[in-house]
Amino acid sequence: MRDSTASYRVKRGLGIAMMLAFLLFALLPVIWVIILALRPAQQLFEPIWRSPLALTLDNIYSITRSDFPKALVNSFITAGCSTALALILGVPGAFSLSKRKAANKFLASWLLLLLRMAPPVGFVIPLFLIYIKTGMIDTYAGLIFAYTSLTLPFVVWSMWSSFNQIPDELVEAGLMDGASMWNVLLKVAIPAARPGLVAAAVLSFLLAWNDFFFALIITRADTMTAPVAVMNFVSYASVDWGAIAVASIALTLPVVPIIIIANKYIVQSLGGAVKG
Amino acid sequence: MTPARASASMNRGYRAMMLPASIAVGIFAIAPLAGMFALSLTNYNLIRGWSGEIGIANFLRLLDDHRFIASVYIMAALSGFGVLAQVVLGTAVAVGLDKIVSRWKAARGIFVIPFAVPHVAVALIWLSLFTPTLSPINAFFDMFGITVPAMLTTQSGAIAAIVIADTWATYPFVMLIVLAALQGISPDLDEAAALDGASRVKTFFLITLPLLYPTLLMVALFRFIETLKHFPLIFVMTNGGPGRATQATNYYAYVQTFQNSNVGYGASIAVVLFVFAAIVSFYIARFNARYSNA
Repeated sequence: MRDSTASYRVKRGLGIAMMLAFLLFALLPVIWVIILALRPAQQLFEPIWRSPLALTLDNIYSITRSDFPKALVNSFITAGCSTALALILGVPGAFSLSKRKAANKFLASWLLLLLRMAPPVGFVIPLFLIYIKTGMIDTYAGLIFAYTSLTLPFVVWSMWSSFNQIPDELVEAGLMDGASMWNVLLKVAIPAARPGLVAAAVLSFLLAWNDFFFALIITRADTMTAPVAVMNFVSYASVDWGAIAVASIALTLPVVPIIIIANKYIVQSLGGAVKG
Repeated sequence: MTPARASASMNRGYRAMMLPASIAVGIFAIAPLAGMFALSLTNYNLIRGWSGEIGIANFLRLLDDHRFIASVYIMAALSGFGVLAQVVLGTAVAVGLDKIVSRWKAARGIFVIPFAVPHVAVALIWLSLFTPTLSPINAFFDMFGITVPAMLTTQSGAIAAIVIADTWATYPFVMLIVLAALQGISPDLDEAAALDGASRVKTFFLITLPLLYPTLLMVALFRFIETLKHFPLIFVMTNGGPGRATQATNYYAYVQTFQNSNVGYGASIAVVLFVFAAIVSFYIARFNARYSNA
């Protein structure tokens, strides 16, 4: 092989060194935030290498006594309910878009993408005014409805692509046997598209879980979600870096396993959605 | 049943299935957007209230609002540099994982971790890294007598800081997509090129990269449209500052609406952003329809 020369080995070494550098870039901020979470307040502003063993669980302890755990629960409730709502409403619609012969599919795909991509500031201005009028500011329902404007277009878009991968014949065979369309959806199409359904559910949950903007505008103390509650540790007088680090980790932990497991569906949810 | 009647009843069934989603999209998404358009034609103010319809006056005012014009330039800088950095870095890592260290299966999972960090946490982590008194980066260079500049205190520094944080958090997304595309390219092509005596680098630029173009264009458009929405990074890291140096258009709409109470004017900025997003979405949807039918 021509590849076994010395110059090849040098090039390969350079390539590996480059990959290690990229890996460090990806990992060091994560390691840093873990260190920050474990630093006692007195040692916070001195270099880690001067007192590497000064570690404490105080930050974790103080977070558990703050309002932050309640905000995490709020995040779970609102992201979970909005995902459930989006699945119930969106899955039949996605099935219809995928299997129905006539329909302006291009227009539908553009609209769904646009709703997914539009800047949230546009949605939130009228919502804010309506919520103030109707007393829905700082309610679970208000936040869940707002999140559904994000999760529903996403669920329809990604389930559309999942249903496209089920052969039409499978659906037609079900209908020929006299099953109703809803039964075909429940008994044939959804089981066949289960991996896609799970992916749509977790990614839609993440969409709501990650939100900062909607919650910032339409929640107050009662339904404040975790991403907004973290900002309580940033005050004009002082910034509680230890608490911020712990809270950031708490915010991220539920997402890490999901992202690692679902990473192949991230690819799917981007491309290849619309196929005749 | 005759086929025609069967298909008519099927059509009814499919339409019934579309109904809940259509109504919900109408209520949750289209109605607020219609509200945004309606508000953009008024000068509604949270404190002063209504003072009548003013037509397109808000949009005319935008044309010589220097803060708006500046916000567009800032948005262009954040999106332009951000997308460029994410696509280049994401592609480099994907190519590295595919060709150089294909045995590092676990590395792929590690590279994806930053993508899992919620945006507010991304912003806070990088804020801590850009805070000179706290940052280990500054402490490290201090040992050699080098003072790292406080990036968040200058305009170009603050924009670079946001671009770096955004790139850290989202290049894994580009990497995943490009990696999937790379694995769809037949290894025969590489081997044929090698037999012809082409170097690996040459093979990459002449064979692999052209095959990646559709994927790269698609992923760049996706990232571009997402970077238009920067909010948590700006809100947390710079608060739009120093001065107004990082007030990108989306953030400016927020400032006008919720800090200055100019709801109508804020809505008109949101409309401009929305129309822009609609154009980009149109190209993505058209591209997607073509690409997936091929």
